[in-house]
Amino acid sequence: MWGFYFDELIRSLPFFLKGVWMTVAVSGLSLVAGSIIGFICGILRAGKSKILRVIIGAWVDVVRGTPFLVQVFIVFFILPSAGIELKAFPAAVIALSNLTASFICEIVASGILSVPKGQREAATSSGLSSYQQLRYIVMPQAMRAIMPPLVGQYVLLIKDSSVVSAIGVVDITRVGWLTVQRIPEGIMVFGLVGILYFCVCYPLINLSSYLEKRMTVMTVKL
Amino acid sequence: MLEGFNFRVILEYLPLYGECFLATLWLSGLSLLGAILVGIIACAMRLSQSRIISKAAGVYIESIRSTPLLAQLYFFYFGLPSLGVMLPEWVTGVIALTLNSGAYYAEIIRSGIQAIHLGQIEAGISSGLSYFQRMRYIILPQALGMTIRPMLGQAIVLVKDSSLLSLISIVELTRAGQTLTSERFMPTEGFLTTAVFYLIIYYMLKAFSNWSEKRLVFKEAY
Amino acid sequence: MISFKNVNKWYGDLHVLNNINLEVDAGEVVVVCGPSGSGKSTLIRCINRLEPIQKGELVVDGMAVHDKKVNMTKIRADIGFVFQSFNLYPHMTALQNVTIAPIKVRKLNKKKAEELGREKLTRVGLKDRINSYPAQLSGGQQQRVAIARGLCMEPKIMLFDEPTSALDPEMIGEVLDVMRSLAKGGMTMMVVTHEMGFAREVASRVVFMDEGQIVEVAPPLEFFKNPQTERGKNFLSSILSH
Repeated sequence: MWGFYFDELIRSLPFFLKGVWMTVAVSGLSLVAGSIIGFICGILRAGKSKILRVIIGAWVDVVRGTPFLVQVFIVFFILPSAGIELKAFPAAVIALSNLTASFICEIVASGILSVPKGQREAATSSGLSSYQQLRYIVMPQAMRAIMPPLVGQYVLLIKDSSVVSAIGVVDITRVGWLTVQRIPEGIMVFGLVGILYFCVCYPLINLSSYLEKRMTVMTVKL
Repeated sequence: MLEGFNFRVILEYLPLYGECFLATLWLSGLSLLGAILVGIIACAMRLSQSRIISKAAGVYIESIRSTPLLAQLYFFYFGLPSLGVMLPEWVTGVIALTLNSGAYYAEIIRSGIQAIHLGQIEAGISSGLSYFQRMRYIILPQALGMTIRPMLGQAIVLVKDSSLLSLISIVELTRAGQTLTSERFMPTEGFLTTAVFYLIIYYMLKAFSNWSEKRLVFKEAY
Repeated sequence: MISFKNVNKWYGDLHVLNNINLEVDAGEVVVVCGPSGSGKSTLIRCINRLEPIQKGELVVDGMAVHDKKVNMTKIRADIGFVFQSFNLYPHMTALQNVTIAPIKVRKLNKKKAEELGREKLTRVGLKDRINSYPAQLSGGQQQRVAIARGLCMEPKIMLFDEPTSALDPEMIGEVLDVMRSLAKGGMTMMVVTHEMGFAREVASRVVFMDEGQIVEVAPPLEFFKNPQTERGKNFLSSILSH
């Protein structure tokens, strides 16, 4: 029995690899969009305008206070009634980008705020403008604090992407779910699912720990 | 989209939401207790002198952290029956949530313990305190203060994770939204109401986190 | 050059600057001293509007610093500020540290800026440290780079906020030497410091502050020999007894 199912599973591998590609695609697109939006929001969040800080803070709070599954449903089911027709894949990318952006916003904002106040004072005293300060003095130093959690966030992104399988996006999880209907060996099928996610995530987790160690050493030297 | 926001329907379904709200609290609460317990045990194993025990705990923690919760949930939901273990859905859900958050709690507790200055432990050893006495009087009280914030953070994550249980037919808050969608074709009312309930839990936990941090964190004497 | 007229500043309820009236002429070297909390750092930080004032008039090189509408970029470019904690940019070499403002604010081209940077760094005695990072420099060297950073903007005024307080004793001398040569070269300087030897040698006036007020202003020899006020006497005896 087991042997038969095992063969079936091997036969399904191409299907699983398609799922891997879909997971990578959804995560990758959301990563790019989320990073761009997240960086911009993070800079504003650490900036001078109180109104902007509060608005962005409220957005971050709502995104963090509600389950991602609910957010996916909201994007997929509610936006169409506002006139925007959405297929599963775009809806997934929108929801995931939004989630990623909110987390990256907080990472970037706290990285910027971690740069010692004296650095900004020295730059101000030389007559550098706010933009010049941010670009040449603050951001280069902030990136040290931002990089490790940023990579960690990308790992979370890949894991969170599994939720979009609920609206039919055929990613690794969905392939597993579809396969297990045919091959009722949950442990084997989802064991494979786990292994595939592990392969995608593990290198990133190590990268994140490595970066964390390197960045700490560099800051101590300073 | 919001012009036709139907408050009447929400009022009609309020009892259902009330039930589901309690279900979410109950499921999350139970899983939380389980997760903390699992976390303490796994952490103790991880810090053990025995390489085998430490490695075993390490494998558990890394597997959980490198794979998505949804995949783990399906693993148990589809996998346990194939082993002949038939459980009610909610038990499966609680098991998945417990084991998932348990791994994260293990890491949180571990970093809390390892963050305590070596000097304190040396002082304890020098006074003749035993391992358990040092744990009880010196290490754990301080670790508690330091970890309360990440622990409550993980609790918030757990509550949001519980929304995935709706995908294995468990009746909780997200399911209420799905019900309103399928029965009345009102995803807007359905999921926005769901979101509001989750936000209530989120803000309550956040307030508790701030309150307890003030009471429990001891300022560094350095 | 610098003119304080009835300047007042509060931090919440704390009256940190209480009716400050002071005129500093071009070429003068003014040393500001006093017990901690007296407001001396706050005083010079107001000059380039690192801290705003709430009441009074503060005019620097003809520009009204107290007026919120005045654009500070031009004024700040003409003032060099040296901090107690150096505040060098850790991700840049000494040369980059001193040339970034000339390039970005004064719009010099890179070559000219680097020439200028090399000249100033040589002037403070760091000719062979031009490409070092702050982490590779001692405290005294870092502070000298900070001074060069100020000088590269060819300022009209140099402000020093306790420049040697964060340094190990053996490095204080090298920084004071640079400051002395600047003073002798005719730079307008305001220095908050406890280094009384320096004050005695190069200051044209000593301003003694306590609890937000200017208590005594006098040429250094007079102040050190004959303090006119009780508080001035107490302060001098407390620092000179070390």
